[in-house]
Amino acid sequence: MNRRKSLADRIVQNRVWKSVFRQGYPNTAENQSKVVVNSWFLHIHPVKVRRHTLKITYTFGLGVISFFLFVVLVVTGAWLMLFHVPSVERAYGSIQGLETDVPFGILMRSMHRWAAHLMVLTVFLHLCRVFFTGGYKRPREFNWVIGVVLWVTTLLLSYTGYLLPWDQLSYWAVTVGTNMVGSFPGIGEIMRMALLGAKEVGQPTLTRFYALHIAILPLVMTILIGVHFWRIRKDGGLSAPGEKSSGERTEGS
Amino acid sequence: MKTKQESTPIFPSDPRKTYGLMELVKGTSPMVDKGPEETVMSWPNLLILEVLAGLGTTVILLFWSLAIHAPLRDLANPDVTENPAKAPWYFMNLQEMLLHMHPALAGVIVPVIVIIALMVIPYVDRNEDDVGVWFASKKGRTIALWSAVYTTVWIPGLILFDELIRVRSLVPGPEIYPGWVIPLAVIAGLMALLYVMIRRWRPSRRETFVGLFTAFAVSYLLLTISGTFFRGHGMHLVWPWDLPPGALPF
Ligand code: HEM
Repeated sequence: MNRRKSLADRIVQNRVWKSVFRQGYPNTAENQSKVVVNSWFLHIHPVKVRRHTLKITYTFGLGVISFFLFVVLVVTGAWLMLFHVPSVERAYGSIQGLETDVPFGILMRSMHRWAAHLMVLTVFLHLCRVFFTGGYKRPREFNWVIGVVLWVTTLLLSYTGYLLPWDQLSYWAVTVGTNMVGSFPGIGEIMRMALLGAKEVGQPTLTRFYALHIAILPLVMTILIGVHFWRIRKDGGLSAPGEKSSGERTEGS
Repeated sequence: MKTKQESTPIFPSDPRKTYGLMELVKGTSPMVDKGPEETVMSWPNLLILEVLAGLGTTVILLFWSLAIHAPLRDLANPDVTENPAKAPWYFMNLQEMLLHMHPALAGVIVPVIVIIALMVIPYVDRNEDDVGVWFASKKGRTIALWSAVYTTVWIPGLILFDELIRVRSLVPGPEIYPGWVIPLAVIAGLMALLYVMIRRWRPSRRETFVGLFTAFAVSYLLLTISGTFFRGHGMHLVWPWDLPPGALPF
């Protein structure tokens, strides 16, 4: 019996701590289960996972890294919103001001920019990993379809954000992209107008891309990632070799 | 004796415990047949890996952002056309294709077909035997490698052909030929040829897909590299070190 409680024990055993984290420190199997189940943030995880799931050379952590980049983008993006003005007269100046007058302004903007580029890359690599390991097979077909939509959403989020600084790079990138759509026989011009909100890239375009970039697409992405993760749980965790042969025996039992 | 477990016959019973049948349920649960011996606690085993992935990403991102600032060019000016005017790098594959075919084909039709084709893969390849095996099999790996080599020969070859000899100077018009018929015929022909060559291995459906997907992924990569790093004034081919200032879209 220990008469003197250590400081750590005092912290994790008092009532305030326990009102937040209902279980004790997760050093027993029971508490390790509870820590996952009791936490809103962790409960998407199963209490136990197969060893195979943890193999680095199976997933390369690409899904988790993509998710993490998305979180970084939401945080740095919310911060950028405090300074950016979505108007063609003031957008560029607001970015310049951010870089010269705001502490860590350049760093936050750079992190947002590079995280976006990196996410485009990691999401595609994740898609390739799932393809090449056959992770799309039953019962995960639909999660693969959701994944393809996630990939497209990632590209669109990146592209809509590209316009917001309103510099030459933004302006011409969006002009080039929407012209391709506009060249579609018949309905191209209508689709282009719908994207731009006008005949040329201008204030209506900036307004549209802004709304898409800061509200609509992030919402779509958040919901889809939620469903994606939920489906991973419901599909029995990650795929693994030899899954089917054992799964079939119990079918219909 | 404290544990009463719902049990299924697949788990060996432990003589020190008593077991009771709680309920009979039809169907399978997600973890059926995954015996406890091949699983570990998520805390700490999985969570530590997730934290490490998060920390690694943050550290790399932080140093990258400290070293290289996000670009900010001149104020947007509709009267000053950038030359070359490039899309973001992840769309340069489409812009590279645009140089060789009708813009609607490069910018809308091909991407839409690719997205749909990706979505239907799981509904066509339904064999579940080879789940979880990289490239399906040894044969699949050979096919993937072979498909990568095939694509790496053809794509730069076609890009060079169109730059030096130019399809449009051989077949100037009407637009339907250089814009639609020839590019579609070339794409379809090369895919068919690849398919025929893959068939030599007597592949399963999945192994065939591995070959086709590899061709897609490698084309995607090569077109992106060509459009981003090898296109200068007027989108003509140049060496990356001869690119005009500002030609890199980042
Ligand atoms: C925002 C983008 C995405 C995020 C955050 C994300 C996240 C994740 C995570 C964390 C996992 C767990 C395993 C792993 O890390 O590999 C996973 C698995 C999976 N993902 Fe994604 N993913 C995204 C996009 C995609 C895309 C583009 C596809 C495919 C088209 C896809 C299809 C799948 C499938 C089928 C699984 C289950 C794989 C298996 O059981 O082996 N996901 N995803």
